[in-house]
Amino acid sequence: MLESYVPLLMLMVLVIVSAAAMVGLSHLFSASRPTAVKSQPYESGIPPFGTARERFDVKFYLVAVLFIVFDIEVVFMMPWAVTFRQLDILGLGVLGGLLEMAAFVVVLVVGYVYVWKRGALEWT
Amino acid sequence: MNGASPNPSAAALQARFGAAIVGVSVSCGDTIVVVARERAHEILRWLKETPGEAYDYLVDVTAVEYRDRERPLEVVYQLWSLPRRVFLRLKVELPKQEPLAVDSVVDLWRGADWLEREVYDMFGVAFRGHPDLRRILMWDGYAEGHPLRKDFPLRGRFSRAEQVRQALTKTPEAHHSVEELAVAEAFQQLSDDARQKFERAGGAGGA
Amino acid sequence: MKPGAAAAGGDAAAGLISSPNWITSRLDDLVNWSRANSLWPMPFFPACCAIEFMATAASRYDISRFGMERLGYTPRQADVLICAGRVPFKLAPMLRRIWDQMPQPKWCISVGACASSGGIFDTYAMVQGIDAIIPVDVYIPGCPPRPEGILYGIMLLQKKIKGESILDPTLRVEQLPDERGMFLRPAAVDEQSEPFGNSVHQTRSA
Repeated sequence: MLESYVPLLMLMVLVIVSAAAMVGLSHLFSASRPTAVKSQPYESGIPPFGTARERFDVKFYLVAVLFIVFDIEVVFMMPWAVTFRQLDILGLGVLGGLLEMAAFVVVLVVGYVYVWKRGALEWT
Repeated sequence: MNGASPNPSAAALQARFGAAIVGVSVSCGDTIVVVARERAHEILRWLKETPGEAYDYLVDVTAVEYRDRERPLEVVYQLWSLPRRVFLRLKVELPKQEPLAVDSVVDLWRGADWLEREVYDMFGVAFRGHPDLRRILMWDGYAEGHPLRKDFPLRGRFSRAEQVRQALTKTPEAHHSVEELAVAEAFQQLSDDARQKFERAGGAGGA
Repeated sequence: MKPGAAAAGGDAAAGLISSPNWITSRLDDLVNWSRANSLWPMPFFPACCAIEFMATAASRYDISRFGMERLGYTPRQADVLICAGRVPFKLAPMLRRIWDQMPQPKWCISVGACASSGGIFDTYAMVQGIDAIIPVDVYIPGCPPRPEGILYGIMLLQKKIKGESILDPTLRVEQLPDERGMFLRPAAVDEQSEPFGNSVHQTRSA
C-alpha cells in the first residue's frame, strides 16, 4: 500500500536536491561585493528615512483567518466525499455519513452566521 | 498698441486705481497692464475678488530680465477668468538698484506657492509673506546665484568638477518637504514598546 | 577568501583554479552566455531617450529576444543600468545611489547624447555625461538614438560580456566614490566636460 507513495518521495528528493543546488551553486559562483550603501534599503535613490512599519487595516488579517477556517472545513469534506459510498455510520449507511457531516457543517455555519452578523465580511 | 481693443479690465483698473496703473498695452491680442509694485497685491486682490473681474485662475507667475540692462526686472502675472473666459497679463517693474522684492499672492491663489518659488530660485526676487520661500528647481544650498539672470554664465560659476562634487555630496533630496517629515514624525506615534522594538532591531538605516 | 583568490565572477571557482585552462574557459563561456542573454535592465529614464527605449522594448523592435523584457524598477534584481535621458545635477546623487545598490555583476549603458556627454544641454544644471558619476560600459549616441541604435548598443554590451573572464581581477570591482564624494578625479571631470563643437560658438556667455 505504501508503494503508491514512492513517486511522491522521489519528487520530494528531486525538489530538495534541485532547490539546494540552485541556491548553493549560485552562492558558490556569485560575486558578492557588499558595500555600505548597497546594504541600505532601496528608496528610489534617496537615503532612507522614516520607518517602513506602517499601521494597516485589520481586515487583511480577518480575511486570512476566516479563509483558513473555512478552507480546513473543505479539506475535511474531501476524504468524506471520496469514501462516501462506503460509509456505514450508526447503522444508517450513507444517511449516517450525511448526518455526521451535516453536524460538522452546522457547527461551522453557526460560526459563519456570527462572523457575518458581526460585520467581519465587510471589506470597507 | 497694435490696434486691437484692450481687455475692459484695463480701463476698470485705471478708473479704480488711477496712478498706480503705469501703462496699458496690447500685444498679439493679450492685454498687458503694468502696475506700481507697492500696490500690486492690492490690485491683484481687486482683480480676483471683484465680481465683474473674477480672475480666479492664476495661470503663471514669472519674471523677465531684458537684454538692455537698464530696463527694470519685470515680474509677470498671467491671469485668467474661468467664468468670463478672459485673459489679462499684469506686470510689476522692479528697478535693479533696489532689492528685488514684491508681495506674495499666495493668500489669493494657492497655486502661486511654487510659481513664486521658481521666480525666487531663477531670478532672486523675494516674495514678502510667502510661507516657504526656498529654491525649487535648484537645490537648497545652491551657491552659484540665480540662473536666469543675464549676468549668470550659461555653464554656472563653478567648475564642472566642483558642480559634480556639490551635486553628489549635498544630496539635495535630503531636505525633505513638510509632508515627508510628517510621515517620519508618525513614527513617533507608535506605542513606546513598538518603537523600542524597532530601534533595537536596528532601525531603517541612516544615510 | 584569501585576498589573492578573491577574483571576479565566482569567488570560489577562482579560488580553486588560478590559471586559465580548459575548465575556466568552459565556465567562462557558460557564465558569460547566461549573463549576456538575460540582462535584466534597471531603467533609469530621466528624459526623452526613454521614449525610444520604450519603442525598443515594444513589439516592433523587441528587446525580449535579448532576454531583457523584464524591466524591474528596482536595482536589486537588475544586471544593466540603462540611463536614457539627460541627468540634472539634482538627480545625480540618486543615479549614483541606484548604481551603488545594484549587486554585481552589473553593467551600464548610457543611451543618447545627454547621458553620454551632456548633449545639447551644456548648462549649469546638467551633468556632462554620466561617466562623471558612474562607470559606463557602452555609450549609444543619438538624440534620440533609433531603436536599431539602441539594439546595436545592447549587442555591443553582449559582445563585451562574452569577452569577460572569471579569472580577471579587474572585473566585478565596486568602484566607489572617494572620500570627497567624487567618482572621477576633478581634473578628469573638467577635461571631459570641456565644451566642444557647437556648444562653444552658439552662446554669448560661453
